[in-house]
Amino acid sequence: MDCTEERIHLLDRRRGTLTGELRARVASHLAECEACRREDDVDRELSLALHDRLPKRRAPEALRRSIERRLVGEPLRVSRTIRRTPMALFAAAAFVAVAAAGAIVSWRPLGADPMLAEAVNDHLRVVYSDHPVEIESGGIHQVKPWFTGRLDFAPIVAFAGDDEFPLQGGAVAYFVDRKAATFIFKRRLHVITLLVFRSEGLPWPVLAKHVLGGARGTLESSRGFQVLMWKEADLGYALVSDVPPADLQALAVKIAGGT
Amino acid sequence: MRTAPHLTWALTPDSVAAKVRYPQMEKETVTLPRTALDHIDSLFRVARNLTGRDSDAEDLVQETYTRAIAAGAQFTAGTNLRAWLFRILRNAHIDAYRRARTNPVDGGFDDEFAADTTTMASEPLRGDAELERLRGVVTTDIEAALASLGVDARAIILLDLEGFTETELAETLGCAVGTVKSRLARARSILRERLRDYGS
Repeated sequence: MDCTEERIHLLDRRRGTLTGELRARVASHLAECEACRREDDVDRELSLALHDRLPKRRAPEALRRSIERRLVGEPLRVSRTIRRTPMALFAAAAFVAVAAAGAIVSWRPLGADPMLAEAVNDHLRVVYSDHPVEIESGGIHQVKPWFTGRLDFAPIVAFAGDDEFPLQGGAVAYFVDRKAATFIFKRRLHVITLLVFRSEGLPWPVLAKHVLGGARGTLESSRGFQVLMWKEADLGYALVSDVPPADLQALAVKIAGGT
Repeated sequence: MRTAPHLTWALTPDSVAAKVRYPQMEKETVTLPRTALDHIDSLFRVARNLTGRDSDAEDLVQETYTRAIAAGAQFTAGTNLRAWLFRILRNAHIDAYRRARTNPVDGGFDDEFAADTTTMASEPLRGDAELERLRGVVTTDIEAALASLGVDARAIILLDLEGFTETELAETLGCAVGTVKSRLARARSILRERLRDYGS
């Protein structure tokens, strides 16, 4: 008798799904074949191991909510990111005033690219704020600890700033529906905003072709600003400025630890 | 210590990416029933064991629903939504791996099994020693052994664990119903082989 053919049915036999002649045939074979009985014992142990020792994971809530919104056809809900502080209100007011004066042509609705729009909006709040930083930079080792207790994650930024891209300071902002660490760099007279936030549950672009050290990012432009976004581990990064794309990419490589 | 960046999100075929870049904004294209959400935990579990990382699993599930929403019109009400979603997940995962080419599962099911066709029945008798080893394996051992399998060998074990019927497995894996049993048995046999390196 062919053991291979019988062993294919051992799992179904243990599950009680064999019927009729096949069930009788497999039972008869097992009664006669010690090797297949041992095989059955070992395979049963494998079933127990898989069933009992593999974690019964559940999808993260943020992912579930994100998918649910998409299934009902709702656009991504984007909470306003203006923090209710005098400085933030001033920044918002300044931005509205400038926009009304025509310096900024359009506040693009969060249409096809909500993350891109959000990144640019956050950068504009920095640019139009008189005091964009809440902690002045005395170096990255002064800025990063400042976030402790202000965020529900630890922002990982390897780059401490240098002569090309001096670090100005940091602040807490919001990105879409979550808190973000904001790092502000300069490139000559240009302001560069780095947003670091939890990446889960966001509609990340599916293509990321720009190599940033070990990571890959997406470079896009919106309203005259360049936006470079990437993910590392559980964190998302958005780098926004009006500097040339090559400068932004050079800074991103430093931040992503590629130097 | 910095964690190595993950790449799954960057590995979607261009054609799909262009079409479904931000599908959540395209209200008119969402034709999937709400019950598609019922399968998210199961999809995540399988995705987690296919990718080995929570963040990659999230991306794979996102990509699965993205493709499903984009192709929602192709889904026929009354047919097996679960099998359809898992087939999309499997294809998305294979697409990602083929692009990454960093995983030993490149060859897919057939290639994986071509190298292991001698593991059934013709091997020396297994006995109490293997039984004892299996009793000693822990979660990380099983996950590591699973990760060493080909995509479809891994998938068929995981989907079976999720309670898929033979018909659903065939539909998901794109094979004949008549071959499901033998594929599952072979996949489990290979997994046992790999687990011999663990436990004690």
